[in-house]
Amino acid sequence: MTTMISWTAANSRKLARQERRRRLGPLGVLTHLALLLWTLLTVVPILWTFLASVKSEDEIFGDAWSMPAALRWDNFARAWEQAHIGQYMLNSVIVVSFSTFGTMLIGSMAAYVLARYPFRGNRAIYLLFVSGLAFPVYLALTPLFFVVQNMGNVPVVGPFIGLNTHAGLVLVYIAYSMPFTVFFLSAFFRTLPRAVGEAAMVDGASHTRVFFQIMLPMARPGIISITIFNILGQWNQYQLPLVLLQERDKWVLTQGIADISTAAGYDQDWSALFAALTLAILPMLVVYTVFQRQIQSGLTSGALK
Amino acid sequence: MSDTPQISRRGFLRAAALVPAAGALAACATPAAPPAASSSSAPVATSAANPFGVDAKKPLEVWIFDGGFGQDYAKNIHQPLFKTKYPDVEIKHNATKEITKVLQPRFAGGNPPEVIDNSGANFIDFGALSQDGQLQDLTPLLDAPSWDDPNTKVRDTIDPSVIEIGTYDGKFSVLGYVNYIHGIWYSQKVFRDNGWQIPKTWDEFIALCETIKKSGKMAPFTYAGKFPQYLYEPLLTMAAKIGGNEVLVNIDNLEDGAWTTEAMKSAATAWAEVGAKYLMEGTTGLDHVQTQTAQNKYKVAMLPSGSWLENEQKTTTPPDFEYGMFPIPDVTGSDKMPYGTLHTQPGENFIVSAKSPHPQAGMEYLRGMLSKKAAGDFSALVRTLTVVKGATEGKDISPGVTSASKAVTDAGANTVYYRWFNWYGPLKDEAIAATGQLMSGGLTPDKYLERIQKKADEIKNDSSIKKYKR
Amino acid sequence: MIFNRYRRGLFITSFLAAPVILYLVYVISPYIQAFYIAMTDWRGVTATPRFIGLDNFERLLGDGTFWKAVSHNGALLLLLPLITIVIALFFAFLLNVGGPQGVTGIRGSKFYRVVFFFPQVLAVAVVAVLFQQVFRPDGSGMLNGPLMALGLPPIGFLSDPDVAFWSVLGVMVWQAVGFYVVLFSAGLASIPRDMFEAAQIDGAGRLSLFFRITLPLLWDTVQVAWVYLGILALDVFAIVWVMTDQHGGPDFSTTVMAAEIYRNAFQYFRFGYASALGVVMFFFTVGFAILSLRLSRRERIEY
Repeated sequence: MTTMISWTAANSRKLARQERRRRLGPLGVLTHLALLLWTLLTVVPILWTFLASVKSEDEIFGDAWSMPAALRWDNFARAWEQAHIGQYMLNSVIVVSFSTFGTMLIGSMAAYVLARYPFRGNRAIYLLFVSGLAFPVYLALTPLFFVVQNMGNVPVVGPFIGLNTHAGLVLVYIAYSMPFTVFFLSAFFRTLPRAVGEAAMVDGASHTRVFFQIMLPMARPGIISITIFNILGQWNQYQLPLVLLQERDKWVLTQGIADISTAAGYDQDWSALFAALTLAILPMLVVYTVFQRQIQSGLTSGALK
Repeated sequence: MSDTPQISRRGFLRAAALVPAAGALAACATPAAPPAASSSSAPVATSAANPFGVDAKKPLEVWIFDGGFGQDYAKNIHQPLFKTKYPDVEIKHNATKEITKVLQPRFAGGNPPEVIDNSGANFIDFGALSQDGQLQDLTPLLDAPSWDDPNTKVRDTIDPSVIEIGTYDGKFSVLGYVNYIHGIWYSQKVFRDNGWQIPKTWDEFIALCETIKKSGKMAPFTYAGKFPQYLYEPLLTMAAKIGGNEVLVNIDNLEDGAWTTEAMKSAATAWAEVGAKYLMEGTTGLDHVQTQTAQNKYKVAMLPSGSWLENEQKTTTPPDFEYGMFPIPDVTGSDKMPYGTLHTQPGENFIVSAKSPHPQAGMEYLRGMLSKKAAGDFSALVRTLTVVKGATEGKDISPGVTSASKAVTDAGANTVYYRWFNWYGPLKDEAIAATGQLMSGGLTPDKYLERIQKKADEIKNDSSIKKYKR
Repeated sequence: MIFNRYRRGLFITSFLAAPVILYLVYVISPYIQAFYIAMTDWRGVTATPRFIGLDNFERLLGDGTFWKAVSHNGALLLLLPLITIVIALFFAFLLNVGGPQGVTGIRGSKFYRVVFFFPQVLAVAVVAVLFQQVFRPDGSGMLNGPLMALGLPPIGFLSDPDVAFWSVLGVMVWQAVGFYVVLFSAGLASIPRDMFEAAQIDGAGRLSLFFRITLPLLWDTVQVAWVYLGILALDVFAIVWVMTDQHGGPDFSTTVMAAEIYRNAFQYFRFGYASALGVVMFFFTVGFAILSLRLSRRERIEY
């Protein structure tokens, strides 16, 4: 991190800048020091985990900062096969793909109607959704468990949406994502101009068509940011699957990681724990780095809506 | 899930009657839904060979706590044995390290599995299970003929304390399979090489700690700091040794002032001194495996544990380590119980769920486990003793188990146990929290005992918590 | 016209049916049931719950552990937003207007923003397990290793009851800061550049630049951040449950409301009592939400 400054600017501005730099110079160094410090705070624990993932058991129990004598890639093999990290990750991907898609589809439908179609009861329904923002999920856990269990007894579809099913979890995720999604998307839909939609209606387009072909595309920025919000929120969910998915082969990644942490204590396989952590962290960082611009702007604009 | 030729006649008739009623489709459908109505199905006739009426068509689901003993014993010893008698019963084997997390919802959902090894740090509260009617009454198992000999009842083949400890609400419903023997564990090699002697009195113990500390070779003592229940065990055993068995009986019965007796004070003071002076550095943040591994690496001399230890550590123990165990030393000159008094407790608690689809098979599975062959093979595989009498006769066993079984023989009738932690979950968590504080100096022995006593009183006065007596 | 109105009604119904039904079944109905369960002594499932009125609430008044949990949530409610927002504002300011030119970002500001955001994309459960290892109490811990190498005594980050709470808070701040740096940066980007330049020409230093211009113009965003972080502080569960010793220990020094609810429901099988704790938590959270809506100007929840 250097405080190098471009010297190619015009001379007059250069002088002014030099003047300012003189004033801010030492602070500039401090600035970078502060930023560097937080960078280290952020990166070092993650890098340290990566490092430990190729260490042997003895090295992990030894000096924290020693380098591994040999790179033990077999830790990853054990994390993948015995600790089923691959399976858990796949489960997470499946659940979150469906649940985020479902959340966005029916959430935007509800938000659109509530934002643009005044009717009796509109406000009541809206408040019902939005009030969920403040409810702590912990209060609902026990009864929710039984609700999902009873869904399992519904004829025909029951076996697919009861306890221990991914579809059941998907429905729960969708329901619990509604308050946030409806709140922000309806705010977004309200800001969109009415003229376009009305013109299309005059041309004979149906309400449904106006929504899917005109309003949704116009709402794209909002849709993207709420989608990212929901993906992250649902990917990171721990409490709901903890209660609703009991069978190991159905578990999602967060459950798997927490379980490996417990299991490491019994199996004395800490190196596999670090490898599993690495496997859980790395893809997220890669995906994030690739899409960082969209994710950052999406998340922050969503939060400020 | 196909029908088998061995299908019982009655079951066959029932199935035949169902087909026209429910239609061919229903008959072919996979039985995926929890069979809630199964209890209404006609029972299979019992016989001497099949005393509980196991239905060959119904599966048997087994959940093993995958802890110190692993799960291989169930897959390779118990289940094959069961299969020899019931080849058609499909056994669904499962294992987990967190029984509560995985199985509690199954109970709540009314479709619990048949057999559960309800053990480990996260076992399901037995009191709540019992109060809820979830525990199958295992009295018929006690009165059934043993697997090996039709003329002997199961009751007579096992340690009688199992029945006493496994009785909830007047019904024997929890089968402790393993006989846990608690004590202070060390490496016989290390003690021999350094000329350290097994301490017979507490003064000798403290002197030994001092010697080890001064030697600079290793720390004298440690315990699983993350799980302070590893330490309240020797503390309570010591209190019983000083003040007699009734110290523990009173604690179990939530008697007033049971935790604050003189015996408890002496014991708490003794261990607080160890906590202040002789612990391995970092002990409070380490778990059982980390501390036990430190011992295997000769970083610490002694730690309190039970007879599962040797098996739990088998991958990290050096070949010449030679585990040994000694009992709590004499504390005062006038301890009520003699040297050698031991805390033994049936553990690895197996239960059969009363509300599972096939509790008969669950009981039969336990009957198989209590056969001499199953118990003997188990002991040989996981290096520990079971509650089945004489099952290890003629078997080659490891040094730690040898040391523990010698201690049991020496103790004779002087064994103690306690059950409050299984009965009152909140009391257990309070004792765990307080014990950690006692050892790290955050609580004085008096404050420590007062604090647990307060929680015990709270529980005693809480009408919503069911009380037990022994 | 009538046909149009019918079409409109049909459209509204068809679009609202699925979300409303899902929401009623999975969200609203469990909450309503929970209020009833809170007034029973339900310990399991099969035994019928016995109605005991407000006994559970009376009992929880004397439950020291629960109030300890509440006090921890309270401390988090105060400290988590405060610390996170101060740090995040500081960095956002440095990154956007702290450059040598005074009004522009400094070099590498994009890099910093990307890196600071890393923790935000990791699952809380993953972060919890990660820090369990970072905080190891002996020389094998990422932090204690260097400390002990310097001859200092190791810190019981998770094993010392006086320290553990701060470790939890630290991890929460660690994970949250990046998001708010980016959030505040977005807010700063919308402030016209010439406002800073004008102020600088007036001879304003960085400090007065920050307090005179940045903070007032960002105030709306700061309020949003405060509400978010407040909810986070009240809702915290996974980090405590997964990371700390004895799930909220040692000696209950890190336990929070959600952990006590979970412990009572799924470890002690006291579903009735746990629901009563949940009801209390419910009122705390709703109270906080209403209060912050009242205090902030962003009460555009109505439309």
